[in-house]
Amino acid sequence: MAPPLSPPALRRLLLLVLSLLITSVAAENVEEFTEELLLRPLPDRKALAHFHFRSSAPPSAAPSRHHHHFPKAIAQLVHQFHIKELELSFTQGRWNYEQWGGYDPMSTNYAKPPGVELWATFDLPLGEIDATWKNLTHTLSGLFCASINFLESSTAFSSPRWGFKLNEGNLRYGALPREAVCTENLTPWLKLLPCRDKAGIASLLYRPSVYKGYYHSQKLKLASSKSFGIILDQTLTVVLQPDSVRGKQLHSADGQLQPSWSMKDLFNRKLSGKCLVSKSSRVFFEIEKNIVDKVDKSGTEASWTNEIFVLSSAPDRVLKEINNMDGHSSSICEYDVSNYNEDAPLDVGVTWKLPLIWSCTPAPYHANRFLMGSGNERGSISLSFISTNMHKQLFDVSNDCSIKAVVFQVVPWYVKVYYHTLEIFIDGNNKAISEVVDKINVTPSEDKLFPGTLEMLLRFPCSMQSAALSLDFDKGFLHIDEYPPDANQGFDIPSALVTFPEFNSSRSYPETDSLFVSPLLRTFKEDGVVKSYTEVLLVPLTTPDFSMPYNVITFTCTVLALYFGSLLNALRRRTGEEERELKKAGNPTMLICLPVYDAHISCVI
Amino acid sequence: MAESDGDESQPALPSSEGGDISGSLSTPAPTDGDKPSPRMSKPGTKRLVLTASVLLSFLIGLPFLLKSTEIHRSPLPSEAIADLSRRLHSNPPSFPCVLHAVFLLSDRAPSGLANRMEQAISTQLLGFPAASTAGNISVSVTVESVGVCSSSTNVASPWRCGAVTTADLVRGDEVFDELLHSALGGGGADGMRVYTIVVVDSDTVEGLRTVIGKHRHAWVVGKVDETESVSIIGNAFVKYFMNGGIEEGEAGIVKGEFMPVGSDGNVVLSFSLLNADPSDWVYDWEFEKIGERMLIPVIEALQPIANINIESQVLYHTPKSSYSSSDDKLGANVLTMGDIPFFVNSNEWHLDTSISATGRSKVLQFVVYIPSARECPLYLQLPDGKLSKTNAFISPMWGGVVIWNPPSCSKTPGALNKMPSQELMETIEIFIGQLRQLFGLKSSYHAQIMDGVTKFITSPKGFAQCKSYYNFASHMHRGSIHPI
Repeated sequence: MAPPLSPPALRRLLLLVLSLLITSVAAENVEEFTEELLLRPLPDRKALAHFHFRSSAPPSAAPSRHHHHFPKAIAQLVHQFHIKELELSFTQGRWNYEQWGGYDPMSTNYAKPPGVELWATFDLPLGEIDATWKNLTHTLSGLFCASINFLESSTAFSSPRWGFKLNEGNLRYGALPREAVCTENLTPWLKLLPCRDKAGIASLLYRPSVYKGYYHSQKLKLASSKSFGIILDQTLTVVLQPDSVRGKQLHSADGQLQPSWSMKDLFNRKLSGKCLVSKSSRVFFEIEKNIVDKVDKSGTEASWTNEIFVLSSAPDRVLKEINNMDGHSSSICEYDVSNYNEDAPLDVGVTWKLPLIWSCTPAPYHANRFLMGSGNERGSISLSFISTNMHKQLFDVSNDCSIKAVVFQVVPWYVKVYYHTLEIFIDGNNKAISEVVDKINVTPSEDKLFPGTLEMLLRFPCSMQSAALSLDFDKGFLHIDEYPPDANQGFDIPSALVTFPEFNSSRSYPETDSLFVSPLLRTFKEDGVVKSYTEVLLVPLTTPDFSMPYNVITFTCTVLALYFGSLLNALRRRTGEEERELKKAGNPTMLICLPVYDAHISCVI
Repeated sequence: MAESDGDESQPALPSSEGGDISGSLSTPAPTDGDKPSPRMSKPGTKRLVLTASVLLSFLIGLPFLLKSTEIHRSPLPSEAIADLSRRLHSNPPSFPCVLHAVFLLSDRAPSGLANRMEQAISTQLLGFPAASTAGNISVSVTVESVGVCSSSTNVASPWRCGAVTTADLVRGDEVFDELLHSALGGGGADGMRVYTIVVVDSDTVEGLRTVIGKHRHAWVVGKVDETESVSIIGNAFVKYFMNGGIEEGEAGIVKGEFMPVGSDGNVVLSFSLLNADPSDWVYDWEFEKIGERMLIPVIEALQPIANINIESQVLYHTPKSSYSSSDDKLGANVLTMGDIPFFVNSNEWHLDTSISATGRSKVLQFVVYIPSARECPLYLQLPDGKLSKTNAFISPMWGGVVIWNPPSCSKTPGALNKMPSQELMETIEIFIGQLRQLFGLKSSYHAQIMDGVTKFITSPKGFAQCKSYYNFASHMHRGSIHPI
């Protein structure tokens, strides 16, 4: 039995609709740009920085060709390819769901699978979508200096119906797990911002510290409609290890202690003002629910300065989350960057007064994916769910309650999955598929044509501690031309996505300022169904001996050379003649020598 | 191998043996005593055959080897290309060109004047190199005198007799131009384009006055005799209608070699406003209102040549890449001609090629550069030391740049200013001039007096009908050769 849609959720939905209406009214047919940065300490001595830039273009009857702040390239892209929604992410590293949280807006919206992930919905007849997708991948690949054009081939993208996002067949999804992400992808992304990284919050993007981080995900999200025009959200999420010099001074003995840090430690620079064309420019410092709890327990109020920690400067505002179920809520300190300038730069940071250990709220299940079996012929994929017992705090656990989970997985054609071999183990016992699987949609792969897509709605009993799914597969053979460079490294299977549709991580904050609503906090309020991506799998396939043609050529050439060489040698050389020549040449000396020899001999005689 | 050895050693062996034996017999030396006997027999034919067969088999195998290691190259239709180029060389494409001369005479005309004039003009046109290469020019003449019209054999355009009289001249050139347009049937919409030159015989005007109208016609006013009028008609036709008024080797004009039109006939005009340093001042513009209004007539006029799209954007933090030097005398910063090639900063100016310009279409960038407070005001200096009037320059096939200095160069940090609409209009006028130059025309015919007597009536579109036809013809001409 699923927990019913609670009244707070309904209210949230209403709020969402209302807020959308407000935005469309507030847009006033002007292009707008806002920049925001969210900082948050993480339990494992790291810090999260989330940059959020929103550019919006007003709705227009005809495709607008004149832009002031909105990037021209994106507006043209939207009109050219009739894009309704698009999301492109470049990620390096893997979001650590155990440590960094799995049940907050950050992990559900901004934790992305490694490599490139692209999905788009189109406002086109179904027949034209595939061709448009192909053109789109090429355009994006040119725009972002990435090999997104590899998603052009029909073996690389799929069209999920409900496992990824509910749609009417106009969604295309593709992922490139092996794409390396680096500064050549960041530069074109920055070019879409009016001030690039010359001024404003983006000037903090000091490349060495961004790429030294444990995780960074650069995302571009586009939404376009007739009612609100085009909204472009550019986000960059980085997890960094702060320079822990100051932390060590405090308590160098305890390795578990939180380091104190500020923006200067993270990015090697302070913030000296906003981008002049931005409508608003804000920095948020988020204090998580579990920290607020601990501070409350210590007896002081969780403001910017308390017994446990102190922020480097007084915030302009403190926002408290509008409460969810269990009474505790996170709070956000807000700084308005326009109050700071080069003489008085902003350097938000935290200094811990007391050692504090806390943890982030995890997702209801930790989802992991493994590869089983050995050899180059067959293997199996298994997906494991381990309960974090989080739902027990949220719901009343009765015996017959259940939790839904949606699994979406795309497998390349050369990994030939036998879907009938699906086996499900719950707490170690093999269960019948019909007991657990509510709904399943399988698109089998076709050799060199389509990838295999699996969409599955599972229903786990609430009391379950662990579950495992396994699927067997055969490894296919590729043509020699189809192998990528360094084929012996193995082939990547893109991450699977696990969604828990009954869990919503959205957070809402009071809107004290009716004129300004933060786009970042608004995205926290929007659709926040808990999601988590699994690991990328590395499947070793049988690789041909790529040097074989070479070997054949060298062998053949050696044999031919030997044959022709010795044959010609034998034909050309005339041993008898040579001997004669030798004699001819040798005789005069002999003649001179001989008398001497003779004389000598005669002498001797 | 053994066989060949045997074959080889057979004639040699006995001799050496013989030598050995004889040596041992004749000389006391135990070995190699005697001079060996010369080779007695020719090399065996067997060996020759074998050598030849090895060589042959190699030669036979060679084509197979070459074939198997060959890289596939798709064949080019080289013959067809060569054929086309030969045909174009021997028979260059020519466009039908029709000249219609109309004489408005105040006194009675002698009979047969029309035919005589036609003959004279035709022979005169043959003398011009430009006219003779353009292909067949057919000439027709109409003579109207005292309300009676007589025409030569093949009249190209209908001339409504009596629609225009000498008296209409006093009503001004613009009115006369429209009158002529209506008298000539409003310019036939069909493919056959006719150029008309009207010679108005008038005593009231001193000297000679040639006016080039908007609609493929010109008129000459003055007292002229027959031979003089023939030469005037010929000159005017060749100079203005056929060459678009461009003189050989004239400065400031892009040679017709480069037509900034993509081979699919699309051109994107991308207008950008660059704020070099927004911390000093930020300027925005109302391009969608003013720019569109001023540019749409131009686009319509150029419709026969190219399909033109306009787009605009505002960019920030875009410094120029050349250094300006401050000039104390002028109290300004100046850029000399030598600095201009380094002005466009492709690292920081992300002008972007347009996604809407797909395939082989061409993007022309038009840039308004607003200097930072440090380099304000910024002027371009001509080689003769004077400052450029327009403060702008073009780069062929790329586009144009206008430097716009904010009023009084006073810092307004944080404020969002708008470019004054009057200044924006002036800037766009400069851009239209630059566009004309990029298309190979003079930037402006306004108030330009050539030969002291010629006047141009300019169309508000900036591109008169005859110019765009001229452009079209030259573009088509190149377009047809392009694939080679």
